[in-house]
Amino acid sequence: MGARRPTPYGEAVAERLATDLAHAGVAVVSGLAVGVDAAAHEGALIGEGCTIAVLGTGVDVIYPAANTDLAARIVARGGALVSQFPDGTGPKRDHFPRRNWTMAALADLVVVVEAAEGSGALITAEAGLAQGKAVMAVPGSVFSPLSVGCHQLLRDGAGLVQNARDVLGELNGLTAVLDDPLTPPDRLAVEGEAPRGRDGLLRHLSDAYPVEPGDLARRLGLAFPDVVARLTRLELEGKARRMGAGYLRVRGRGMT
Amino acid sequence: MLPRLPGVVARVLSCLLRGLEGHLVEIQVDISSGPVGFALVGLASGSVREAKERVRSAIHNSGLPFPSQRKLTVNLAPAELRKDGAGLDLAIGVGISLAALGLPSPRSTAFLGELALDGAVRHVDGVLVAARGLIRHGVGALFVPEADAAEAALAGGLRVYPCPSLSIAMAHLTGDTLLDPYSGRAPTPAAADASPEHDLAEVQGQDSARRALEVAASGGHNLLMYGPPGAGKTMLARTLPGLLPPLELQEALELAQVRSVLGDLTAGRPLEWVRPFRAPHHSVSLAGLIGGGSGLATPGEISRAHHGVLFLDELAEFRAATLQALRQPMEQGHIVITRRSGSVVYPARFQLVAATNPCPCGWEGDSQRSCRCTPASVEAYQRTLSGPLLDRIDLQVVVARTPMDVLGREAVGESSAAVRARVVAARQLQIDRQSTLNAGLRAPQLRRWAPLDATALSALRRWAGQRGLSARGFHRAWRVARTIADLDTGGPVREHHVMEALGYRLVERAA
Repeated sequence: MGARRPTPYGEAVAERLATDLAHAGVAVVSGLAVGVDAAAHEGALIGEGCTIAVLGTGVDVIYPAANTDLAARIVARGGALVSQFPDGTGPKRDHFPRRNWTMAALADLVVVVEAAEGSGALITAEAGLAQGKAVMAVPGSVFSPLSVGCHQLLRDGAGLVQNARDVLGELNGLTAVLDDPLTPPDRLAVEGEAPRGRDGLLRHLSDAYPVEPGDLARRLGLAFPDVVARLTRLELEGKARRMGAGYLRVRGRGMT
Repeated sequence: MLPRLPGVVARVLSCLLRGLEGHLVEIQVDISSGPVGFALVGLASGSVREAKERVRSAIHNSGLPFPSQRKLTVNLAPAELRKDGAGLDLAIGVGISLAALGLPSPRSTAFLGELALDGAVRHVDGVLVAARGLIRHGVGALFVPEADAAEAALAGGLRVYPCPSLSIAMAHLTGDTLLDPYSGRAPTPAAADASPEHDLAEVQGQDSARRALEVAASGGHNLLMYGPPGAGKTMLARTLPGLLPPLELQEALELAQVRSVLGDLTAGRPLEWVRPFRAPHHSVSLAGLIGGGSGLATPGEISRAHHGVLFLDELAEFRAATLQALRQPMEQGHIVITRRSGSVVYPARFQLVAATNPCPCGWEGDSQRSCRCTPASVEAYQRTLSGPLLDRIDLQVVVARTPMDVLGREAVGESSAAVRARVVAARQLQIDRQSTLNAGLRAPQLRRWAPLDATALSALRRWAGQRGLSARGFHRAWRVARTIADLDTGGPVREHHVMEALGYRLVERAA
């Protein structure tokens, strides 16, 4: 579970974890929302595993509509859309916390990837705890408001997730920990629409790991020279900087 | 008929090389009464003085008369030109034989070749250069070793006689058995679509380096690749000759002259159309790199890379003095080497591709492995790079290691032939517009051929201000932007062209 508007870091972690867990034969349950949910489902599909989307609407209503294609692929690849609500039920505000409870119930273990203070993902984590499920969280940057919720969970005793092996160890009752860094996926889950405006590319950059212009070009369907020109423009404005062969988003700086 | 000096019995022409210039040498042979002996005069070095013994045996063994009971004097003129090498042997042998037989000397005919003791004529280096020099001196016929005939014929406008032995040369001169002049076909350039030895299609990922290579090939720009060991920098560099159009006839001839002096031409196929790729090791000596050596200066790696690519791997490991010496040829397209015996000039119009690790251990800035160097050593390493040489490199890109999971699964990249088609079109555009590639544009020409609109200029100025770009660096980015625009539309240089060009500059940060 995690934020609907995650950082590229959160999106990358969700996709990578889901891919690796799916490879290991773990079914990935999430809520078919945009952001971390969609990345987790996409990751599981990349890992050629089973993924289950728990809807807050009727199973015949895909919300948000942007995930219609994703929902179709989940079903086509042997996954499932499940819902506790009758067919034809549209999105309703009070249905989603109830859906979150169901999601926790279906899972053996809850991983929170990115969650702001008091967000819906934390409700699911609490539901998991109430049902006696293990809860784990992915740490983030201390500068990032989207990691505050995860850090709260960690302080309260949630398991630390650095990679899929941490999750597998918890599931299988193992205690050995291997502190390998996670390699970022070379292709993020959400096929971004072509960025508009001067800062359009910025939301595809992370402040946590460098993104290479070639990967950005492929992901966004842009020409490579165009991406380099846009990135240099961001660099000139102090919004991005180079690291190795890629670019990082510069946090907390406005126009120079 | 040349005027006959009193006492001189025979006068035969040959040629000596000084760099890529052929100097006419006249061998004068006098047979007179007096103390019996064989004197060779005219500033002959050791290898030429040994010619006496070779020539004497060769004449005897060819069944020709040798004036052993007379006073024999051979003079090599002009006397102030130091003579070395064995290339004069044939001319000396012919001169002595003509004098001994009392035959007239052939007019405007020159002889090149080393004599074996049995009279056979052996290969000598530099025949092409000599032939071109002789033509300038009005010589119309040239006897050369058989193996070197194709090379000599490249000079054009000269009757070339492939000459297997001294006796055959003499038979021709006496009119007994006439030799046929060499009649090989004129060289024809190779097909432009030949598939290169190292194809870009074999490179996986590396978008930045691919693009930088295309831009470098299109505008003739120098390129630096910056990345950890094993990232494929050498492989990328090796694809550059295959992205360039094949050599033109004039270029191939210039390169063949350098190779001719070095004795590096393939017998029977003296012209190569593929652009050279030279990759000297960082332990290369100054003489090995720019040319030199004891005695006559021979061409170095930079001249062997003429009209091609000079690749310097591990740039930071080269001695500072060695890199310093590259500056003159990089600016001027040739190298002047001065020796006690005079200066020689060799062409050295190469495209530089350099590669370097970011730090002594190689892993600084890598996303997967941590660097083990101290900050001070990284800084010292990068300082050696940021010298004046780097200021002459237009394009700088980071080459990252391709992740293992990408290797072997990514679709095959675009082939060299496809990239070359765009490169050739962009180069033609530049030649038609300004008669030179963009890398050769000076500041006033840039203003004329690559004017920047207000937004493009302000972006470039802003970058220059932020990064402390030197005036030279400013113009380099401008030139690259011109090339990018040529690859794009061929029209005016726009802001996004400048922006992309600045994306291929790194060094300001290290400096």
